[in-house]
Amino acid sequence: MLVLTRKISESIKIGDDITITVIDINATHVKLGIDAPSVQKIYRKELYDKIKSENILASALTVDEFVKIKEALK
Amino acid sequence: MISFQTSRFGLIEVAEEKIIYFAEGLPGFPMIKRYILMDYKDTALKWLQAVDDPDVAFIVVEPSLLNPDYRVSPDDSTKTILNLTNDDDLAVLVIIRREGDQVIANFQCPLLLNAGTMRGVQVYLDTIPVS
Repeated sequence: MLVLTRKISESIKIGDDITITVIDINATHVKLGIDAPSVQKIYRKELYDKIKSENILASALTVDEFVKIKEALK
Repeated sequence: MISFQTSRFGLIEVAEEKIIYFAEGLPGFPMIKRYILMDYKDTALKWLQAVDDPDVAFIVVEPSLLNPDYRVSPDDSTKTILNLTNDDDLAVLVIIRREGDQVIANFQCPLLLNAGTMRGVQVYLDTIPVS
Protein backbone atom coordinates (compact mmCIF):
# COMPACT_ATOMS: atom_id res chain seq x y z
CA MET A 1 0.00 0.00 0.00
CA LEU A 2 1.20 3.47 -0.88
CA VAL A 3 1.17 5.69 2.20
CA LEU A 4 1.22 9.48 1.80
CA THR A 5 1.14 12.19 4.44
CA ARG A 6 -1.12 15.19 3.70
CA LYS A 7 -2.22 18.29 5.61
CA ILE A 8 -5.60 19.98 5.61
CA SER A 9 -6.40 21.36 2.12
CA GLU A 10 -3.72 19.25 0.47
CA SER A 11 -4.72 16.70 -2.17
CA ILE A 12 -3.70 13.58 -3.95
CA LYS A 13 -4.50 12.73 -7.55
CA ILE A 14 -5.45 9.32 -8.89
CA GLY A 15 -4.93 9.35 -12.62
CA ASP A 16 -5.92 12.49 -14.54
CA ASP A 17 -9.50 12.72 -13.39
CA ILE A 18 -9.71 12.04 -9.66
CA THR A 19 -8.60 14.42 -6.91
CA ILE A 20 -9.02 13.66 -3.23
CA THR A 21 -8.57 16.58 -0.83
CA VAL A 22 -8.26 16.50 2.95
CA ILE A 23 -10.94 18.96 4.09
CA ASP A 24 -10.71 18.55 7.85
CA ILE A 25 -9.12 16.36 10.48
CA ASN A 26 -9.96 15.80 14.13
CA ALA A 27 -8.97 13.18 16.67
CA THR A 28 -10.94 10.33 15.10
CA HIS A 29 -12.20 11.52 11.71
CA VAL A 30 -10.85 12.66 8.39
CA LYS A 31 -13.17 14.58 6.11
CA LEU A 32 -12.33 14.05 2.45
CA GLY A 33 -13.48 15.91 -0.63
CA ILE A 34 -13.51 13.92 -3.85
CA ASP A 35 -13.56 15.38 -7.34
CA ALA A 36 -14.20 12.74 -9.95
CA PRO A 37 -16.08 12.35 -13.22
CA SER A 38 -19.79 11.90 -12.55
CA VAL A 39 -19.73 8.46 -14.17
CA GLN A 40 -17.37 7.30 -11.44
CA LYS A 41 -19.29 5.62 -8.62
CA ILE A 42 -17.85 6.39 -5.20
CA TYR A 43 -18.71 4.35 -2.12
CA ARG A 44 -17.66 4.11 1.48
CA LYS A 45 -15.72 0.86 1.45
CA GLU A 46 -17.82 -0.96 4.06
CA LEU A 47 -20.90 -0.20 1.95
CA TYR A 48 -19.26 -1.38 -1.26
CA ASP A 49 -18.24 -4.59 0.52
CA LYS A 50 -21.84 -5.14 1.63
CA ILE A 51 -23.19 -4.72 -1.91
CA LYS A 52 -20.45 -6.98 -3.19
CA SER A 53 -21.08 -9.80 -0.73
CA GLU A 54 -24.82 -9.61 -1.37
CA ASN A 55 -24.17 -9.88 -5.13
CA ILE A 56 -21.82 -12.81 -4.67
CA LEU A 57 -24.44 -14.67 -2.62
CA ALA A 58 -27.05 -13.99 -5.31
CA SER A 59 -24.86 -14.88 -8.30
CA ALA A 60 -24.70 -18.62 -7.83
CA LEU A 61 -28.31 -19.74 -7.44
CA THR A 62 -29.34 -22.92 -9.21
CA VAL A 63 -32.24 -23.54 -11.56
CA ASP A 64 -33.79 -25.54 -8.72
CA GLU A 65 -33.65 -22.49 -6.46
CA PHE A 66 -35.25 -20.41 -9.21
CA VAL A 67 -38.21 -22.80 -9.17
CA LYS A 68 -38.43 -22.65 -5.38
CA ILE A 69 -38.45 -18.84 -5.44
CA LYS A 70 -41.07 -18.89 -8.17
CA GLU A 71 -43.26 -21.16 -6.00
CA ALA A 72 -42.65 -19.06 -2.89
CA LEU A 73 -43.77 -15.86 -4.66
CA LYS A 74 -47.02 -17.34 -5.98
CA MET B 1 -25.62 -13.32 -33.28
CA ILE B 2 -23.18 -14.23 -30.57
CA SER B 3 -23.00 -17.54 -28.76
CA PHE B 4 -21.52 -18.35 -25.37
CA GLN B 5 -21.50 -21.18 -22.85
CA THR B 6 -23.39 -21.08 -19.57
CA SER B 7 -23.25 -23.58 -16.75
CA ARG B 8 -27.03 -23.60 -16.19
CA PHE B 9 -28.42 -23.31 -19.71
CA GLY B 10 -25.74 -24.74 -21.96
CA LEU B 11 -24.90 -22.88 -25.17
CA ILE B 12 -26.84 -19.66 -25.64
CA GLU B 13 -27.21 -17.84 -28.93
CA VAL B 14 -28.46 -14.32 -28.81
CA ALA B 15 -28.66 -11.29 -31.07
CA GLU B 16 -26.01 -8.73 -30.18
CA GLU B 17 -28.60 -6.02 -29.60
CA LYS B 18 -29.97 -8.09 -26.68
CA ILE B 19 -26.75 -7.63 -24.72
CA ILE B 20 -26.90 -5.26 -21.77
CA TYR B 21 -23.66 -3.45 -21.12
CA PHE B 22 -22.68 -2.67 -17.51
CA ALA B 23 -19.69 -0.38 -18.01
CA GLU B 24 -18.49 -0.82 -14.42
CA GLY B 25 -19.68 -4.37 -13.99
CA LEU B 26 -21.49 -5.09 -10.73
CA PRO B 27 -19.82 -4.81 -7.30
CA GLY B 28 -18.15 -8.19 -6.82
CA PHE B 29 -17.95 -8.78 -10.58
CA PRO B 30 -16.13 -5.76 -12.01
CA MET B 31 -14.74 -7.65 -15.00
CA ILE B 32 -18.11 -8.88 -16.24
CA LYS B 33 -19.55 -6.14 -18.42
CA ARG B 34 -22.03 -7.99 -20.64
CA TYR B 35 -25.25 -9.66 -19.54
CA ILE B 36 -28.44 -10.86 -21.14
CA LEU B 37 -31.92 -10.96 -19.66
CA MET B 38 -33.62 -14.32 -20.10
CA ASP B 39 -37.21 -15.39 -19.63
CA TYR B 40 -37.48 -18.75 -17.93
CA LYS B 41 -40.26 -21.13 -16.86
CA ASP B 42 -43.19 -18.87 -17.68
CA THR B 43 -42.88 -16.46 -14.75
CA ALA B 44 -42.13 -12.80 -14.21
CA LEU B 45 -38.82 -13.85 -12.67
CA LYS B 46 -35.94 -13.67 -15.12
CA TRP B 47 -32.30 -14.63 -15.24
CA LEU B 48 -29.66 -11.99 -15.74
CA GLN B 49 -26.98 -14.21 -17.23
CA ALA B 50 -23.39 -13.04 -17.62
CA VAL B 51 -22.07 -13.35 -21.15
CA ASP B 52 -18.47 -13.20 -19.95
CA ASP B 53 -18.70 -15.84 -17.20
CA PRO B 54 -20.67 -19.08 -17.61
CA ASP B 55 -21.32 -19.46 -13.87
CA VAL B 56 -22.61 -16.00 -12.99
CA ALA B 57 -26.36 -15.46 -13.27
CA PHE B 58 -28.76 -13.52 -11.08
CA ILE B 59 -32.46 -14.09 -10.55
CA VAL B 60 -34.17 -10.74 -11.09
CA VAL B 61 -37.67 -9.34 -11.13
CA GLU B 62 -39.39 -6.03 -11.69
CA PRO B 63 -39.74 -4.63 -8.16
CA SER B 64 -43.26 -3.34 -8.83
CA LEU B 65 -44.42 -6.95 -8.89
CA LEU B 66 -43.25 -7.38 -5.29
CA ASN B 67 -44.10 -3.90 -4.08
CA PRO B 68 -46.25 -1.61 -6.24
CA ASP B 69 -45.06 1.44 -4.29
CA TYR B 70 -41.38 0.94 -5.09
CA ARG B 71 -40.04 3.81 -7.21
CA VAL B 72 -36.54 4.70 -8.27
CA SER B 73 -35.57 8.07 -9.72
CA PRO B 74 -32.07 7.93 -11.15
CA ASP B 75 -29.79 10.82 -10.18
CA ASP B 76 -27.85 12.78 -12.80
CA SER B 77 -24.70 10.68 -12.61
CA THR B 78 -26.75 7.50 -13.06
CA LYS B 79 -28.49 9.08 -16.05
CA THR B 80 -25.09 9.90 -17.52
CA ILE B 81 -23.87 6.35 -17.04
CA LEU B 82 -27.00 5.01 -18.72
CA ASN B 83 -27.12 7.69 -21.45
CA LEU B 84 -30.69 8.10 -20.30
CA THR B 85 -32.42 10.94 -22.10
CA ASN B 86 -35.93 9.52 -22.19
CA ASP B 87 -37.29 8.37 -18.83
CA ASP B 88 -39.60 5.93 -20.62
CA ASP B 89 -36.53 3.86 -21.50
CA LEU B 90 -35.72 3.24 -17.82
CA ALA B 91 -36.27 -0.30 -16.57
CA VAL B 92 -35.70 -1.33 -12.97
CA LEU B 93 -34.93 -4.82 -11.70
CA VAL B 94 -34.06 -6.16 -8.28
CA ILE B 95 -31.91 -9.19 -7.54
CA ILE B 96 -33.52 -12.00 -5.62
CA ARG B 97 -32.07 -14.87 -3.61
CA ARG B 98 -33.08 -17.36 -0.97
CA GLU B 99 -31.96 -17.68 2.60
CA GLY B 100 -33.48 -20.71 4.23
CA ASP B 101 -37.16 -20.51 3.38
CA GLN B 102 -37.07 -16.76 2.94
CA VAL B 103 -36.96 -14.97 -0.38
CA ILE B 104 -34.82 -11.85 -0.19
CA ALA B 105 -35.10 -9.06 -2.75
CA ASN B 106 -32.29 -6.51 -2.81
CA PHE B 107 -34.44 -3.36 -2.91
CA GLN B 108 -31.51 -1.32 -1.64
CA CYS B 109 -29.35 -1.96 -4.71
CA PRO B 110 -31.57 -2.13 -7.78
CA LEU B 111 -30.33 -2.59 -11.33
CA LEU B 112 -31.23 0.31 -13.58
CA LEU B 113 -31.34 -0.34 -17.31
CA ASN B 114 -31.74 1.88 -20.32
CA ALA B 115 -33.80 -0.22 -22.71
CA GLY B 116 -32.94 2.18 -25.53
CA THR B 117 -29.14 2.07 -25.28
CA MET B 118 -28.99 -1.31 -23.48
CA ARG B 119 -26.80 0.06 -20.71
CA GLY B 120 -27.10 -0.94 -17.10
CA VAL B 121 -25.82 0.03 -13.68
CA GLN B 122 -26.39 -1.17 -10.13
CA VAL B 123 -27.09 1.70 -7.77
CA TYR B 124 -27.20 2.00 -4.00
CA LEU B 125 -30.19 3.79 -2.49
CA ASP B 126 -29.73 5.51 0.87
CA THR B 127 -33.38 4.97 1.61
CA ILE B 128 -35.60 2.33 0.15
CA PRO B 129 -38.35 4.13 -1.75
CA VAL B 130 -41.40 2.28 -0.52
CA SER B 131 -44.21 3.85 1.41
